[in-house]
Amino acid sequence: MSDSKRKSHVKPVIYGFLSFMLGFVLFALSICLVLRFTFFSQDFMLDSMANSGYYEMVKDELGDKLKSLGHASGLPDEFFDEFVKKIDIVNVERNYVSSFYTGSSTLVDTNTFKQDMIDAINVYIEENNIDKEKANEDSILYLVDEASSIYVKTVNVSFFAVFANYINKLDTPLRMVTIGLAAAALVIAAIIYFTNQFKHRRYRYITYGLGAGFLSVIVIPIVVFSSGIIPKVNLATRSLYNLFVGYFNSMFMYFWIFAAILLFLTVICFVVYLQKYNKAVGN
Amino acid sequence: MRKHRTSHRSKGGKNFIILPIIFCVLIIGISTAIVYPSAYSFISMARFLISDGEKDFSTGYNNIFVPVEDSEGENSSGERKIVPMSQMEFPSYGEQFGELIIEDCQIEAKLFFNDGDNELNNGVGVFAGSFIPGYGKTILVAGHNNTYFNGLKYAKKGQKVKIRTSYGNYVYEINETKIVDKSDVDACNLGADYENLVMYTCYPFDELGLTPQRYFVYAKFVSGPALDDKN
Repeated sequence: MSDSKRKSHVKPVIYGFLSFMLGFVLFALSICLVLRFTFFSQDFMLDSMANSGYYEMVKDELGDKLKSLGHASGLPDEFFDEFVKKIDIVNVERNYVSSFYTGSSTLVDTNTFKQDMIDAINVYIEENNIDKEKANEDSILYLVDEASSIYVKTVNVSFFAVFANYINKLDTPLRMVTIGLAAAALVIAAIIYFTNQFKHRRYRYITYGLGAGFLSVIVIPIVVFSSGIIPKVNLATRSLYNLFVGYFNSMFMYFWIFAAILLFLTVICFVVYLQKYNKAVGN
Repeated sequence: MRKHRTSHRSKGGKNFIILPIIFCVLIIGISTAIVYPSAYSFISMARFLISDGEKDFSTGYNNIFVPVEDSEGENSSGERKIVPMSQMEFPSYGEQFGELIIEDCQIEAKLFFNDGDNELNNGVGVFAGSFIPGYGKTILVAGHNNTYFNGLKYAKKGQKVKIRTSYGNYVYEINETKIVDKSDVDACNLGADYENLVMYTCYPFDELGLTPQRYFVYAKFVSGPALDDKN
């Protein structure tokens, strides 16, 4: 086999490998960008909470749980209707989420809650002329402690503390990896572009890589949605369930968006390839 | 020359479909091999969070209680009737499967299996770690002292407690009342091998707040069908 023939067999293999690497890097880059825009974004979390009706549902659930406590402690439902109205769940939740993303202390302030409840109970005792013997201080403090515990449990987002730990640890590394992958994609594309003698071949190999990236990215939401796994998640409350489903549906929407961008670039490169190819063949 | 052009274009066209697919399979395969070991703990945890279907968050409850006549608890000869378990519907968590009545205490409450918030908001509940009537063991029933079990404050020795279920009606007789600390775990013998009913609620009655004591009412079995687990 002559040198020129051997080169003609080796070149497609090398460029094919570069196309594969381009596809791989674009796939990894897309995942990093999806994570950056969703999992690592405080705004995305807060938007998911607002869009899934999380705040309203948490307020309702807190009210229901406190009313159940009221049944065990002699306080009527109306007492908690008024009391829960005064609690600003939106602010409490926003502070709670922000504290995770900023890495600060994540304790929910229960002192204000407890004091507000004691004040409300005192008003209730006074308005209803309840005998002091029937309003034992220890029993009321026990009730307030239980209510406070319910309040903290209801406001907390399950599993969020675990994820927040990773968010804080991986934020900077993810940023570096994303920049590195973007640079790698550009370098590979540049190698393919500038080392190819024929213009149409430059676009052909880049199209292979972009196409592979598009298919790899779109596989993830297709597999997840076709498995129907998200709506089957078993969470304790409706608020958490709706937040989870809304959060992940929005997250996978980003996969569709990145897949669409890669598809668009693939089509553009393919069209350019055809033009260049026809021009080369025509010449 | 024309022949060469045609074959070249055809080969290139196929590659635009086949190569990205092959690359995609390789990318997904390699990515899975890289990520799976480190994500194994997350995947294992996630499996526990997935149920067979969508969860029902409704706060309503299922009612399987269909009243039966009083005489259905005994045979014509007056012997204790046997109900094969295969012929009865076992209650699931949170289901209403009967009602509890103490006429002398003005108590008439729906009886649930389990004693969570939802059950105690709607009636009284059998602790799921105890037994249902007819089993020949301890039936531990909880209720709130400000609502359905408020009448327990009138409980006295000799008073009758009726439990009506779809598989038979039961009568118990109160033989003791006791006030204990909430942390007293010896107040109820769940391991008893004879049928007995234990009802409890918070104490003191009608007090505002969560009280540190519990009021226990013990009742012995009088009548009602036995459940036969062999059939």
